[in-house]
Amino acid sequence: MIQVLHLSKIYGPNRRALTDINLAIVKGELVFISGPSGAGKSTLLKLLFREEEPSEGQILIDGHNITRLSSRGVAQLRRKIGLIFQEFRLLPHLTALDNVALAAQVIGVSKRESRNRAYQLLRELGLKERCDAKPLTLSGGEQQRVAIARALVNEPTLLLADEPTGNIDKETAGEIMGLLVKIRDRGATILIATHDRQIIRRYGTRLILLDHGVLVDDLAQASGR
Amino acid sequence: MKISLVGLVFRQVGTSFRHLFWTHVLTAATMALTLFSFGAFMLLQTNLEYLLKGWGDQLQITAYLNNGLAEPQVDALMQRIRAMPEVARARHISHAEAWRDFQTALGAQSGLLDGLPRDVLPASIEITIKPENRDEKIITQLAARLSDDNDIASVEYPQEWVERLELVVLGVGWAKWILGGVLFLATLFIVRSTVKLALFARKEEVEIMQLVGASEELIQAPFVLEGMIQGLIGAGVSLAALWGGYSLLQDHMPTIGFFLAPFGQLQFLAPHHIALLVATGWLLGSAGSLFSLRRFIKTWHPSSAKF
Repeated sequence: MIQVLHLSKIYGPNRRALTDINLAIVKGELVFISGPSGAGKSTLLKLLFREEEPSEGQILIDGHNITRLSSRGVAQLRRKIGLIFQEFRLLPHLTALDNVALAAQVIGVSKRESRNRAYQLLRELGLKERCDAKPLTLSGGEQQRVAIARALVNEPTLLLADEPTGNIDKETAGEIMGLLVKIRDRGATILIATHDRQIIRRYGTRLILLDHGVLVDDLAQASGR
Repeated sequence: MKISLVGLVFRQVGTSFRHLFWTHVLTAATMALTLFSFGAFMLLQTNLEYLLKGWGDQLQITAYLNNGLAEPQVDALMQRIRAMPEVARARHISHAEAWRDFQTALGAQSGLLDGLPRDVLPASIEITIKPENRDEKIITQLAARLSDDNDIASVEYPQEWVERLELVVLGVGWAKWILGGVLFLATLFIVRSTVKLALFARKEEVEIMQLVGASEELIQAPFVLEGMIQGLIGAGVSLAALWGGYSLLQDHMPTIGFFLAPFGQLQFLAPHHIALLVATGWLLGSAGSLFSLRRFIKTWHPSSAKF
């Protein structure tokens, strides 16, 4: 599914964010990327959804080199990727339903079909009664579930999540992780950047450790589920 | 762009007009001001050209005859003049007719002529030029040929005035493009600021659209559409203001007739000028937005994403 070959990212003459990263992730894997602040977790994810261009090396997703893409190609790539952010990034003037539906609408799905899909997902994630609520009236856990629904609405094969449990309490974090594991079980590949050791211990099947932009360990762990 | 996206674009435009109402009003007003200035110069040019055409229609050469010419000599001269290819008409004005005309022109003051000999004014021939020959070079050559005739004392024609007016029309034409160009550029900067404001007001939404795979065209479309609407509203307002100004001048023709008398009847912009003004507004809005967007989107990426 994902192959990273000799990947480096240099921001300035003295700032190497990533150095010669090599890894392969197969379809259906749940992979944690961990390491201290500034280790390069965020940069690696940014390179995977092409917010950043690598300085050296290649990234292949389903055999396609994504390091040389036009803006149209980048848009096409992102339609196959679901993104989940630590701070949810929901639009405050839209309802939960519209936040989810917007992601489908912008790639050409009709308004009715987008809203249908959004409703089904929110219902599945236990937010059936909160469809018309604006994000600021939702709890952190609810907001993150809306964000997950948005990431899933276009049925992506790859989910990238940055500290998805960073802004929520432990109990809700457990629920969110449970949801992500379910999504993985349906066949999606999931990469989660986190430094929450507890979560990694409990749900981790594979852990990639970064430090100062260098891949220091790639551990396959026994799942704690 | 897919049909299903058109509704989304229009909804975004509607939201932007509601949220940034006064910014959009200001931009449309600036466009209207620019287009009004441009249109006012077009209107002035149209009327000066109309005036020039009217003068051209009346363009005549006056050949003053030598004193003491006998009637057969005058007839022969008239025949020679009428045979000239550039001449449309020729009319002989005798001493007596010239006297009468002058008396009529003086009106109540005609008593001033009392005591003067009746043949003090020279006889002349008024020569009207064919429209296709109303060219400075041809008229000058014709005047020279007439001057060479032994029966003609002197030749006069208002070419100098026509040339001056032609220069004024040319100047107004240039001023229209120069001032229009400067205002066009100034308006582009205003459009740029509006796009910048609209883009920052929708920064979060645009970022999320980019992250979920919206195409560049879809992200840019609402801004370009807003620009087009602003441009068309600006053109409409400027045309309404020009029409208002034109009607006001028409209504006050009798009171300010002294200044406008040479124009006779004022002319409004021709349909192709109106189309030019509307097209300029449309172009100013849409191209201005597109140009600004390309500049901002090139330099602005969704870098606030916390990945």
